[in-house]
Amino acid sequence: MIVTRNLTKYYGSLCAVSDLNLDIKGEIFGLLGPNGSGKTTTVLMLTTLLRPTSGDAYICGYHTTRSAAKVRSVISYVPQDMAVDIRLTGRENVQLFARLYGLARSKDRVDELLGLMGLSGRADDLVSTYSGGMRRRLELAQALVHEPSVLFLDEPTIGLDVAARRKIWGHIISLRKKGMTVFVTTHYMEEADHACNRVAIIDRGSVAAIGTPGSLKGELGKEIIVVRAEGDFDSFSTENATKIGCAGDEIVFSSDMGSDIVPILTKDLHAAGLTVRSVSVREPTLDDVFLQLVGQGDDRGPFDDRKFRMMLRRRG
Amino acid sequence: MRGVLEYLWRDMLRWTRGKVAVISSLVMPATWLIFVGLALPTSFTTNYLDFITPGILVLTMLTASFQAGSSLIFDKILGFLNKFLALPTPRESILLGKIFFSTARGLLQATVILVLAVLLGAASWSAQVVILTYVLLGVFGILIASFATTIALHLGDHDSYAAVNAMISMPLFFTSSALMPYSVMPRWLATLASINPVSFAIDAIRAVQVNVIMWDRILPLTGMTLLVLAVSIIVFRRTSL
Repeated sequence: MIVTRNLTKYYGSLCAVSDLNLDIKGEIFGLLGPNGSGKTTTVLMLTTLLRPTSGDAYICGYHTTRSAAKVRSVISYVPQDMAVDIRLTGRENVQLFARLYGLARSKDRVDELLGLMGLSGRADDLVSTYSGGMRRRLELAQALVHEPSVLFLDEPTIGLDVAARRKIWGHIISLRKKGMTVFVTTHYMEEADHACNRVAIIDRGSVAAIGTPGSLKGELGKEIIVVRAEGDFDSFSTENATKIGCAGDEIVFSSDMGSDIVPILTKDLHAAGLTVRSVSVREPTLDDVFLQLVGQGDDRGPFDDRKFRMMLRRRG
Repeated sequence: MRGVLEYLWRDMLRWTRGKVAVISSLVMPATWLIFVGLALPTSFTTNYLDFITPGILVLTMLTASFQAGSSLIFDKILGFLNKFLALPTPRESILLGKIFFSTARGLLQATVILVLAVLLGAASWSAQVVILTYVLLGVFGILIASFATTIALHLGDHDSYAAVNAMISMPLFFTSSALMPYSVMPRWLATLASINPVSFAIDAIRAVQVNVIMWDRILPLTGMTLLVLAVSIIVFRRTSL
């Protein structure tokens, strides 16, 4: 459904996406990464909104630049901006898309989708009275009018409360069960872990890891040990556990030894002159995978303001 | 074409539901009509209101059409443009919908202004004059809206666009034949006014009122409109992919 081959995008000399190779079919695929890692750029290229610098992308076999119109007829794209017309009713918003897609019997389809998204009762209210979650569901209804094969969602749950997020993911999962391929970008690791069949972690434009959430977590080890400590822990290392990274005053390790690791690690830390405040053992999460691959992200060298702004402007 | 109408309809619905915007768009031309049209002492005509009405109709179109640019920028900033560009509907219909909506909105506003002018004492127009005037106003509206969207696409952010709009629209109006005939203008102003597209529309409308079709005004105006519309479409294609 989605195939990319060495997909690359440069903004001037800044490489936003580098040699991306993906094969995605019949699944919920999550693209995870820190801000500015190339997630949105990737989505824009796949949705024919941005021309790649080099490389190719195919959606349902159609090339994204050579057969862009064909691509647009089989996909839907919901950007993160929450762009619904607040002075129109929910029904009018969906009707607009149904008509733009040229659906002949659009009325039934619009009613059906509003019902599916749980908006029937409020369909004739102005969208300005809708909550964030309702607006996002309305966007999903708009995106589904023509029964796309591939759905692109850019940060679908950003800014929503917990209940609204859960609802959105529920809808996304049921779409996948109906056979739709869903490509989603998100910051929320826990949500990706729960909903995505596969995820790719992308950092500085390159895929750092790809696989099912389970396999990525499995590669880290059986346990995660989080140590809160004081002292110079940047240079600390031990043979008894793998140091994944540091976050704030926490050092994160992985290990396969079970809880036996706790006294051993504590001893090593003391020997290195660190003051240990607390030690806890838990199962690995995607956050740990992310921490290991991407780090905290605040030690990235100088922030190039001009390039960053230029990238934002071109991207917009 | 279907897409153009859908986008036009979307903008029309949004506009008519913002009641403040509907009224405020009429205040400026009505103010001109009342406070300048009725009050300015003039020596070249006995009914200045009759003279200034075509100018104010064109001013109404000028203001309405210039908003096509900011409307396009807002669609871009708020994420609508990306959603629309990802649809299989021909992309140009987004731009054309915007241009035709601004022109249609301008014509609706011009109708109110025309009625107001007659109520204030301007001579009423025959159906033929009204129809021909609308055609000319429509062509002029498309010209300005195409120009405005080109500028907007080129600039990309709203603050710069508003600045350019303020810089262009008023000088365009004041250096036209809207407020006085060429015969009473200083020489330099008459020269400027005679090459100003705003005057082309105004002069053609004044001629229509006395049953003259002024081809030397209408043809350049139409030619310019087609040219700028084509440029706008090219710039739109280039900037949106």
